[in-house]
Amino acid sequence: MNQKKSSSSANKPLGVVFFLLGFIGALAVGWIVFPNLLYSKKAQPINFSHVAHQSEDCESCHSLRADGTYGGIPRIERCRECHESAQGSSEAEAKLISDYLEKNREVPWKVYAWQPDNVYFSHAPHKGQGLECTRCHREVSKEEKLPPYRENLITGYSISTMKMVECEKCHADKGASNNCEICHK
Amino acid sequence: MDFGRRAFLQFAAGAVGGTLLSPLPWQLAADSARWSQNWSWRPSPERGEVTKVAGVCTMCEGGCAIQARLVNGNRAILIEGNPANPLTEGGICALGASGLQFLYAPYRISKPMKQTKSRGDMSGLQPISWDEALAELGKKLAKMRADGKSHEVAAITSNRPSSMADLWLQFFTSYGSPNLFRMPSAVDGLKLAAQLTTGKASPFAFALAKSEYVLSFGSNLFEGAGAAIIAFPALRRWTRGGKRSVKLVQVESRCSMTASKADQFLAVAPGTEAALAMGIAHLMVRSGHYDVDFVKNNVFGFEDWTDEAGKNRQGFKKLVTSAAYSPEEVAKLTGLGADQIELVAREFAERQNAVAIWAVGQPDNANGAYHQMAFAALNVLKGNLKPNGLMSLSPVVPLAGLPLVQKDAAAEKSLQRLRLDAAKSRPVQFQQYGLYEFLDSVRTGSKYPVEILMVHEANPLYSMPENGLFQEALAKVPTLISFSSYMDETAARADLILPDHASLERYDDVAGIPCASFSYYAVSAPVTKPLLDTKHTGEVLLTLAGSLGDPVGASMPWKSYEEYLKFRVEGLAQSRKGAVADKPDVQILNLSAGESVQPNFSSGAELWKKLKAGSCWYDAPALTTGFDTASGKIELACRLIAINGAPAADDKLYLPHFELVSPSGSETEFPLLLVAYKPSFTAADYFPTSPFMNKLIPDSTLRGEDAFVELHPETAAKFDFSQGELVSLKTIQGEAAVRINISAAARPGVVYLPKGLGHKAYDRYIQGKGTNANSLMEVQLDPVSSVGTVWACRAQLRRV
Repeated sequence: MNQKKSSSSANKPLGVVFFLLGFIGALAVGWIVFPNLLYSKKAQPINFSHVAHQSEDCESCHSLRADGTYGGIPRIERCRECHESAQGSSEAEAKLISDYLEKNREVPWKVYAWQPDNVYFSHAPHKGQGLECTRCHREVSKEEKLPPYRENLITGYSISTMKMVECEKCHADKGASNNCEICHK
Repeated sequence: MDFGRRAFLQFAAGAVGGTLLSPLPWQLAADSARWSQNWSWRPSPERGEVTKVAGVCTMCEGGCAIQARLVNGNRAILIEGNPANPLTEGGICALGASGLQFLYAPYRISKPMKQTKSRGDMSGLQPISWDEALAELGKKLAKMRADGKSHEVAAITSNRPSSMADLWLQFFTSYGSPNLFRMPSAVDGLKLAAQLTTGKASPFAFALAKSEYVLSFGSNLFEGAGAAIIAFPALRRWTRGGKRSVKLVQVESRCSMTASKADQFLAVAPGTEAALAMGIAHLMVRSGHYDVDFVKNNVFGFEDWTDEAGKNRQGFKKLVTSAAYSPEEVAKLTGLGADQIELVAREFAERQNAVAIWAVGQPDNANGAYHQMAFAALNVLKGNLKPNGLMSLSPVVPLAGLPLVQKDAAAEKSLQRLRLDAAKSRPVQFQQYGLYEFLDSVRTGSKYPVEILMVHEANPLYSMPENGLFQEALAKVPTLISFSSYMDETAARADLILPDHASLERYDDVAGIPCASFSYYAVSAPVTKPLLDTKHTGEVLLTLAGSLGDPVGASMPWKSYEEYLKFRVEGLAQSRKGAVADKPDVQILNLSAGESVQPNFSSGAELWKKLKAGSCWYDAPALTTGFDTASGKIELACRLIAINGAPAADDKLYLPHFELVSPSGSETEFPLLLVAYKPSFTAADYFPTSPFMNKLIPDSTLRGEDAFVELHPETAAKFDFSQGELVSLKTIQGEAAVRINISAAARPGVVYLPKGLGHKAYDRYIQGKGTNANSLMEVQLDPVSSVGTVWACRAQLRRV
């Protein structure tokens, strides 16, 4: 009996080690390995340098249409206005011309901030509230290379797809309604 | 260091703790919920810029103005009425609003198909390339023509007035077949009445919006597709300022939607509408309350007359004032009270701008030649056929005529063959209108066989009353070619399917609105690019004509259907008639007959551009001057009618009179009458009922797979039927299980079955729901014309 007791007390510090090993290992898997496994990294079809297009402000390309809806990423016709013939010598531009402009195909951009179909989101009232684009979107003014698009392997959404809780929090802070039908029409 | 059981448990406890403090379980739980939002079968609307494009609906003969909402200029997401059109002002029927459900329908035929097994076996329908299909068909047509068998090629097309109808006629004439037919329609009766009384080939039309008293003999003004484009503008005027200024009297046996919206509903026994018309005429003539001068100067056969053999014949006046049409006698026939008849006759005679209308918007032609003449006679008595009167002849849109067909010897020889619908006994036989005689001839093989039957924009196996006749005739036809965009009943039995574009994907036009007195033309430009491997049937005909070589090819020289339509519009522009309604406040309905409308286009190209943008062309009603009858007058004693080519023995046979062709079957076996009606929430023609419309069908019309027949409470009590009871409905044409809906809308002794149900094709959402009324109904041909009449048939209901 005594022997067993002493043996048990002798193993105590070691038990904490096993516990910590499991604890820290799981934290590492949960916080580091799992997110990397969950989100795939996908390259955009061609690179787009926001820096190279800095002569124009955000809204000259990402604009609201006359009917108040948001234009999102410009369509190929907008690219054609300048890139009908090559402006520089970048690989991305050459690909834009050969693969898309000449074939009159839209560039299948992967949209970082893609929102689910079951959500109705309008940029117009948010802009009216004086919110900066960077409140929700990444800062792109110094971006030369598009970051990889990270897609959730389970849901198919982008890593930047906004979660409902974020919408709700801001709505609550600003005193906007959080009724279901405000977003889920 | 020993990693024993205890150590493992300690490790696991740590791992559980660590996991719970990491995002892993919570993220997995949340993501598995979000995963369900992206299941592959979940529809995901395309995102992008939304634009609107104006167009014209060609799903029925109405031609209402529509606009389509498109995403990124291509994906159509909504069809709605176009408020810029002065007639429809943004109105649209349930079928038109469902346009997209037919564009994206799962039962669309995606490519040409050939039957490789026995007819009707769906597994035998195999894809074939367009080149192969057209080459094969072209070769067969060429061989038949070379063998002098052109007349053995026949076609059944839509009854919608369009340039496509003219192209079919051009193809058949140059190819050398007289056997081109169109689906039957109620407007056929208006054409018949006009031909008999005025000698003109255009159907009668009505100036509804100018009328102040409308006596409607069974017209379906407010039952959806068909009459919508003329009924709704009229209704807007009738109810201007929220006050009804017009009296609408509806005469029919069932309390339809139109009857329920009318100011007065005269519930007559089925088929006796013409008896009431004769009764009203009787009172008008007897009391002298009719347009005496008009009748005296413009009507032949009102007074007694002498025929070519010098025989004295009774005139309409004597016949109609006979005791047979006294209010008491008509009351017995119709089931109305004699006082009711006197009241309506007095009102009709005394009211200004009173018109008698019939056939407008009706699904089938319900009246034979003599009844058609009786309704026309009422308008004659009112002087409504005066220039600028309330009844006129449908104006002909002055489109460019098709080039004269250069017929070669082969075509001439085949065209001289008697049409398969030709019947010596019937004096009035319009070309293309004798579908029933044609099918009967094919079925019995009494004249000559049909080798190839083409069906375009029609589904006769379902939508033709007494559709069993088509099925029997089809058994004798070796090759059935369908041009349908959809796997309908007829297409499913085809040996070759050459699918047309859907109506929103192709060029089409609307060459006049049936029953409208004003002139109307609209071009339906494609709203979206074709989604599937389909081909415009017009272009298929052009290709076939080209492959047959001259003179067939030379008769159809256009490269595309668009080019053909441009050619037709060029002619319209050159006529220097009419104008484009490019503003919603154009007063089309106010125009007087023959009034000159200043054209607002300078060239064909400009007119085409405006029409393509969705605006309609209009012109004033035609000025009725002179009649093409033997007497040069309106003939109430119609000398065109000479039974079997010889003078009729009975004077009555030249005159409008009430003569109901008895339905077949014995009254003891079939004690009830069956009448088919078309509710506003079903589609019963070429298009089936859409998913949108399915949602409108009440439980009292269709529940599960059972259709309901309407039965008057007295009749239900007599047979001891209860609400919702499943019974068997039998006629000489067939038998079907239906449920009973006890309704005061029904007339005692009559069973009412809705049209538009009971499909056997398309998809599982359409097929097997209810009963096809056309399979139970009976068609009768009167001795005068080959236009079929569908009014009622004898029926029995028995418990199952």
